[in-house]
Amino acid sequence: MKDVRLDQIDRPRRASRVTLDEVRFAHDRRVVLDGLSLDLSVTRLGIVGRNGSGKSTLARLLAGLVAPDAGQYRLNGIDVARDRKAALGEVGILFQNPDHQIIFPTVLEEIAFGPAQQGQRKAAAEDLARATLARFGKAHWEEAYVNTLSHGQKHLVCLMAIVAMAPRLLILDEPFAGLDIPTRAQLRRYLSHYAGNMIHVTHDPQDLAGYDQAIWLDRGDIRQTGASDAVIAAYVAEMTALGEADDIADLAG
Amino acid sequence: MERNVVMIALFAALIAVLGLIPKITLGFGVPITAQTLGVMLCGTVLGARRGALACLLFLLLVAIGLPLLSGGRGGLGAFVSPSVGFLVGWPVAAFVTGWIVERWRGAPLTLVAGLASVIGGIVVLYGFGVVGMALMLEKSLVEAAALVTAFIPGDVLKAAIAGMLTAALAKARPASVLSRAA
Amino acid sequence: MISLTSPVRTRAHDWPAGAKLAGLCLGTMVLFLMSDARLHLAALVAVLGLYALPGAVFLRDGLRKLWMLWPFVLVVALFHLVDGSVLAGAVIIMRLITAVALANLVTMTTRLTDMIAVVHWLGAPLRRMGLRTRPLEVAMALVIRMTPVLLDKGTALTQSWRARSPRRPNWRIVLPFTLLALDDADHISDALRARGGLVTPED
Repeated sequence: MKDVRLDQIDRPRRASRVTLDEVRFAHDRRVVLDGLSLDLSVTRLGIVGRNGSGKSTLARLLAGLVAPDAGQYRLNGIDVARDRKAALGEVGILFQNPDHQIIFPTVLEEIAFGPAQQGQRKAAAEDLARATLARFGKAHWEEAYVNTLSHGQKHLVCLMAIVAMAPRLLILDEPFAGLDIPTRAQLRRYLSHYAGNMIHVTHDPQDLAGYDQAIWLDRGDIRQTGASDAVIAAYVAEMTALGEADDIADLAG
Repeated sequence: MERNVVMIALFAALIAVLGLIPKITLGFGVPITAQTLGVMLCGTVLGARRGALACLLFLLLVAIGLPLLSGGRGGLGAFVSPSVGFLVGWPVAAFVTGWIVERWRGAPLTLVAGLASVIGGIVVLYGFGVVGMALMLEKSLVEAAALVTAFIPGDVLKAAIAGMLTAALAKARPASVLSRAA
Repeated sequence: MISLTSPVRTRAHDWPAGAKLAGLCLGTMVLFLMSDARLHLAALVAVLGLYALPGAVFLRDGLRKLWMLWPFVLVVALFHLVDGSVLAGAVIIMRLITAVALANLVTMTTRLTDMIAVVHWLGAPLRRMGLRTRPLEVAMALVIRMTPVLLDKGTALTQSWRARSPRRPNWRIVLPFTLLALDDADHISDALRARGGLVTPED
């Protein structure tokens, strides 16, 4: 990992201002986010909650991929759902499954895509992609075909594809689910060097070591927010208690 | 046997999903519905027989009431509407397209698949479509043809895309391009 | 996947699907043989009346499905207005709407399982000839099962694109999507074969 130089991203580390005002989102007549209000300066924020709590939807909303049905959301004052061009420089999002994320057959094309969409010419975008690969110590991946990569390697390509766009805030939607322990540890290490701000959505508290704030989302509502240690402790206590109950026996209808 | 049935079913599902995802652009910002691209790909990738079967399977499912046509439409009404010719022509279009791709081996696949898509997916398909429309609307063939000419340029671009996609697929997963298997 | 059967229960839901389909064929044939404008008007009113019987929700749903015919109605109307043959144009338009409305009515009042049963029944002569219809039935089930799954994957890819671009996805997104579909094809073939496959000893 000697060649990793993520901390040399051009942007200085300034907190990202996340402002939600009575944000509501429903899908197929089911309310997923129920009047969320928040005003946070984010450097490292964790979002925990059970599956089905609305975490993934919130992640997409924070990234500007979906707009709220009611209420307002601004990231550093920008409506990222409307102003997609500005959004690309403000926020990037990493999803769970790299196979559903990688669009192009070669590593270089995939990493160069984002910068090209931000307005770079093809040659400049490719140079930026090469520079990103070099920063991660993966310059030799330039010509590689994505389908020859392992699952963990594909995850890294997805991360690089977003880092190349240098967004101020990186949102991670459970990107480590299903990875084996060594791969998880390696990817966590890459991420810990990321100089921008991060919002990490996860149901595993271990991913949030060293984070300063956390939000606990429960059935579309903010159950608790504050210093990450306190929130996570409360969350883990409840999850353990629920593990002793049997609510998976209940059907949704 | 299983592989054939599954591939046919998957491509029928592909046609469905290409009609259900939001419109994609051609690259000049012109939005198109991608569904007929799926029909072309059935021919270029699966070949004549399997491609036609995939389209027939798709039409059968639309007929029994599944909302698989572009925009979530479907049901028996689609088969008595003026555009019925364009639906009925899909299996034939896929067959002709596939037949050309199977037999024309001398030239690059992009070109072969692209031209095959034009001949099958446009010439043959519009033939059926125009006849159907002329019958349903009681107009002459020329008049019916005039109604649909506006869509031809978009479909020519789709055929080019089908060519490029088929070649890219052959490069990424050679074994899946059944039209060229053996 | 949800079919186009209406959730509003009507008496027609319980009628045999085969009879409804046969009636539809007959009705459509009659519509295309008729040329009297008054008869067409009566037919159109009758069919719309059938839509009104189960209530406002059903009627609205049915009318919404007919809306997509408007370009054809417009073109025919303009043509015949210019031509002076207004009555002939009216007949064409009425027949069009009545035929589609009648067909949609059958779709809206017939459950998917009943339709599949009709397909199975139609396959009886083939089975008597020794052909197998099971592959068709499996194929139908596969498409119904796989379409929502593929749709989710397509949506995920589209989101991955939109997360990095201010523009809508272009055609290049179809390639990774097709690859995902092909991967599924491999897994499903294996699963099918592991469960006995399509070629059973009795065949």
